[in-house]
Amino acid sequence: MGRFAWRNLLTRPLRTTLALVGLSIPILGVIGLFSLSGGLRNLVGDTLNKIQGVMVMRDNLPSPVFSDLPTNYGERLKAVPGVKVVAPEVWKIAPSVNGTRSFTRTASDLITGGGAKAMKSLLDMPLIQGQDIPTHTNLRSGVYPSSLKEKGEGRYLEPSDAGTNRVVISRKLSKDFLKPDGTPSGVGDKLRIGDKDVKEFEIVGIYDTGSMFLDVVIVMDIGTARKLLGVSEDQVSTFYVEMTDPTANDKVSLAIEKAMPDVDARSMNEFMANFGVIMSKVDIFLLMTVSLALLVGIVGIINTMLMSTTERFVEFGVLRTNGWSQGNVLALVTAESAFLGLMAGAISCVMAYAGVTIINQFIGDGLRLTLPFWLFGLGIGISLVTGTLGGLYPAWRASKLVPMDAIRLGSH
Amino acid sequence: MIDVADVKKSFRSGERTVEALRGVTCHIPKGRFAFIVGPSGSGKSTLLYLLGALDRPTSGRIVVSGTDLTAMSEAEQNHYRRDRIGFIFQAFNLISNLTAVENVLVPYLPRGLTPELERRAVELLTQVGLGGRVDHRPYQLSGGEQQRVAIARALIKDPEVVLADEPTGELDSKAGDEVYRILRRLQAERQTTLVVVTHDRRFINPDDLVLEIQDGLLKTDESEHQRNLIGAEV
Ligand SMILES: Nc1ncnc2c1ncn2[C@@H]1O[C@H](COP(=O)(O)OP(=O)(O)OP(=O)(O)O)[C@@H](O)[C@H]1O
Ligand SMILES: [Mg+2]
Repeated sequence: MGRFAWRNLLTRPLRTTLALVGLSIPILGVIGLFSLSGGLRNLVGDTLNKIQGVMVMRDNLPSPVFSDLPTNYGERLKAVPGVKVVAPEVWKIAPSVNGTRSFTRTASDLITGGGAKAMKSLLDMPLIQGQDIPTHTNLRSGVYPSSLKEKGEGRYLEPSDAGTNRVVISRKLSKDFLKPDGTPSGVGDKLRIGDKDVKEFEIVGIYDTGSMFLDVVIVMDIGTARKLLGVSEDQVSTFYVEMTDPTANDKVSLAIEKAMPDVDARSMNEFMANFGVIMSKVDIFLLMTVSLALLVGIVGIINTMLMSTTERFVEFGVLRTNGWSQGNVLALVTAESAFLGLMAGAISCVMAYAGVTIINQFIGDGLRLTLPFWLFGLGIGISLVTGTLGGLYPAWRASKLVPMDAIRLGSH
Repeated sequence: MIDVADVKKSFRSGERTVEALRGVTCHIPKGRFAFIVGPSGSGKSTLLYLLGALDRPTSGRIVVSGTDLTAMSEAEQNHYRRDRIGFIFQAFNLISNLTAVENVLVPYLPRGLTPELERRAVELLTQVGLGGRVDHRPYQLSGGEQQRVAIARALIKDPEVVLADEPTGELDSKAGDEVYRILRRLQAERQTTLVVVTHDRRFINPDDLVLEIQDGLLKTDESEHQRNLIGAEV
């Protein structure tokens, strides 16, 4: 009977193909969205897991770039019990690098390249981070130095680099800021940074964290950064704080915020929690999309199967006169639409696999679409359920037919 | 064998009620070749289908070999049709997506096939002269050949009763002769009871039972009544 159902689909190739396309597209969309959300989760999770300390910045700001704190807050932070290292940092969006202003670039991308490109270049905007090198050297968890050691080249900043125009940049930035001959900048090459007062900076190291959020930073000495960005001695952007006991991050953060009400001490758990809230909204959205896709799929299948069963009433009559029960007819038609669903699921999975592979080739840089095994299961599951549910009503109608009426349809 | 007692059947179509059968009573003995004849619209097909439990009479009783069709459950009707009755229709008989041999095996598809059943299906096709065509689809067969596949399908269950509704209606006389030769042989060899609706009195033999219907009522003339009695004694 399974073979019979299968053959019934194959004898109407055009209709079967159209039904398959109609069901595959929503299923593919579902897989794609889940894949994207998985990719985002990984991206952020990867990034933040690398950072073990707490970032102290001004209250209610979205990014360290906009934060400013008095330098003497450093002493007050050190006084909070549990705090071990307090490393001051200066953050700003980079001025022109090699003559290109990042704002201008973003704006022109917005005009010429459309939303997606502008979005990407917004995330791409290079930042300058000035580090107090001696205290940063004392940190347990330095994302940049460790990634430089693992996958980068050259060396990280050392206390002797204080006051010099030496920088460490990411591999991604080295490709963004090409040398005059068009090859990526390397260790020993120079970058020209500044809007009016342009200065030359020597690249001493190249790091590669693999994360889209971190690989946009040009790291230099804090004093050099102050001069370049016009930040006075009594101001910093943020303090990077490590605790004596890393597992007490949350507790000490609370103590910091209590002692200094105008700052935010953001532990990575907190970032994760915020992100979790966003992602759970995304998940609700995903769920709605899935339901909608399911609905569209079911309607499509109902339509296809209704057409096919209506023109086969006589055939069902012949089957009934030969002893097929209502249940047998129901099973036949449901099997046909379940097969349809299964095929659509398989097609979607193959297309999703191909699509994700191709897209990942092109996006690179941190964000990678994921395609875990359970996603294939989900795709096939949804399409199987859709196929079966969509077939039930037409199947029920076909099975309810009085055999005598069905035969009469054929003999007159 | 077949006892029909005061069977009425009416159809509602919208406001109107059509009385297709208005109290038919008859007896068809085992092993007889019975014909139902009458003008178009007189209720021949309706009576035949009721004998095959394709629908239920509005009132009256139909008893086949001691089983009351009117008291059967849905499931019992399915078994009755599958195991005890062979149907042959005028046309549109075969499932286009199945080969000749699969069409013969249709009653058993839901339960699953056995090699024994498949062997028997091929044998039946050979008996009706289609031994070389078992894997052909209906569209590859002529009308007469299709009808012979349908006969093989009716016979695979070794039925007590074969019901045929104008089985030669769409065939030329040569193909029609062939169909009746097979049905006659079946009656002779297996004592199967046959009930055939026809417009064509050419195929009726003198000792066949003829049930003549007019306006939903049986009209049995003297000579046929006579033959009826003789038939009952045989
Ligand atoms: N489902 C139905 N709904 C309404 N009327 C019906 C239905 N089935 C049969 N009839 C009517 O019942 C009557 C008997 O029909 P039936 O098919 O038994 O006639 P018949 O003797 O087989 O005719 P023919 O020789 O043309 O095949 C006809 O008037 C027909 O219109
Ligand atoms: Mg008729």
